[in-house]
Amino acid sequence: MARSGITQDEAAGQLRRLVQINEQIKAVVSTAFKINLMALNAIFLSKRAGQAALGFGVLSNELRQFAVELTEKMAELRSLVAGSLRGVTDLLKHARNRAIMERVDSEAAAARASIQALLVRQRVTLDRQESEMDVLHRRLGLLLDEIGQLVELGGVLARSAKIEAAYGGSFAAALMQVSTDFDQIIGVIRSSLDALEKSESQEVYA
Amino acid sequence: MKVAKTIYQQGARRWIAIVRDPERPNYLIDTNEYVVVDGGHALLCDPGGLEVFPAVFGAISSEVDPSRIEAIFSSHQDPDVISSLALWLEFNPRMKCYVSWLWGGFIPHFGGTASTFVTMPDGGMEVPVGGSRLIAVPAHYLHSSGNFHLYDANAKILFSGDVGAALLPPGTDGLFVENFDQHIKFAEAFHRRWMGSEKAKRDWCERVSKLEIDMLCPQHGAIYRGEDVARFINWFDELEIGCLKID
Repeated sequence: MARSGITQDEAAGQLRRLVQINEQIKAVVSTAFKINLMALNAIFLSKRAGQAALGFGVLSNELRQFAVELTEKMAELRSLVAGSLRGVTDLLKHARNRAIMERVDSEAAAARASIQALLVRQRVTLDRQESEMDVLHRRLGLLLDEIGQLVELGGVLARSAKIEAAYGGSFAAALMQVSTDFDQIIGVIRSSLDALEKSESQEVYA
Repeated sequence: MKVAKTIYQQGARRWIAIVRDPERPNYLIDTNEYVVVDGGHALLCDPGGLEVFPAVFGAISSEVDPSRIEAIFSSHQDPDVISSLALWLEFNPRMKCYVSWLWGGFIPHFGGTASTFVTMPDGGMEVPVGGSRLIAVPAHYLHSSGNFHLYDANAKILFSGDVGAALLPPGTDGLFVENFDQHIKFAEAFHRRWMGSEKAKRDWCERVSKLEIDMLCPQHGAIYRGEDVARFINWFDELEIGCLKID
């Protein structure tokens, strides 16, 4: 992904993209928090249902564990995006300075040699920053893959919970309602994650 | 591009005024920058804003090797005065920036590190350029609450920041004031509005009237020289300032 000579517009575009990703992360984190509370309620409900809801109880615990792991992963993602925001802001500042220095190069014929040396130094700094951004970008992609797999597991757990709910005796209807809510909310997380992956996989300097 | 004009030269000492940019967009206020050269060393007074950096740098480099500029003197904190700081530091990271202690924590938002800034106490201090010393003259509240001018006793030049500034219409933008009475009309509204303290103004007039000044060089407009210097100080002393009249 490393590319020589990022422009101010490209860096500004990247900044806007990261802000968008950050907003999408906030949406997933808020949903993950909701699922955590739902899993706690499901655990209490299955305890009340007793013997008839043993399988559902196990799955509720798994779903709660899933919500905790998802929250942790999203926190990690948020920290990565915060690092990327810092990096791209720095990149934007350097790209602006470079654009001004390029104007100097065309206006200050007498100082051309020293300006050329400065432009080379700026190029080295920008290349380094762009490489660092590439590393962050790759880590972001890997983390989103991990989160995607985790959400798939969450979907399997929610569907299994629905099946277990049918064996819940007098609590079957209540357990079915809870497991349907799980399934729906994991669907919401999945579509938020799809949007997040789409934003993330856009051309870095587009 | 701006023009670099030598306004004083005696031996190794030179003052160069960087003035008038025909390509400057109208929405940017015009500024003057001054370079004080002492042999192989130079100091830049109020380097100007980010947007005019190429024009300033180009004009300076037509007269002096910019790598000789070892320090910047920032009369105060305004963006048209010092927002190009980061670019100057990119050119020479070892450059020092003299600024009122009051702005020591604010101006670094434009760029620089702890080692960049030399903060000046309220009473002023000596500012070295090569082997000689200039004097930072207090001009607080004129208009900024932490404000300094720079006096060169050898050249008898006072760099006066916003004091003496005039917003000149096209066609009347010569380097020097040629007709004081005509010129001062373009300075009056500026001083009435921007200069906020009568007491500070009186103190300043008293302080600078004791200095030998051949040229008073503001950051905007034309340079006062000869008898126009005293004329300006007297005019300023009598001007009612710090009041905004709204009809």
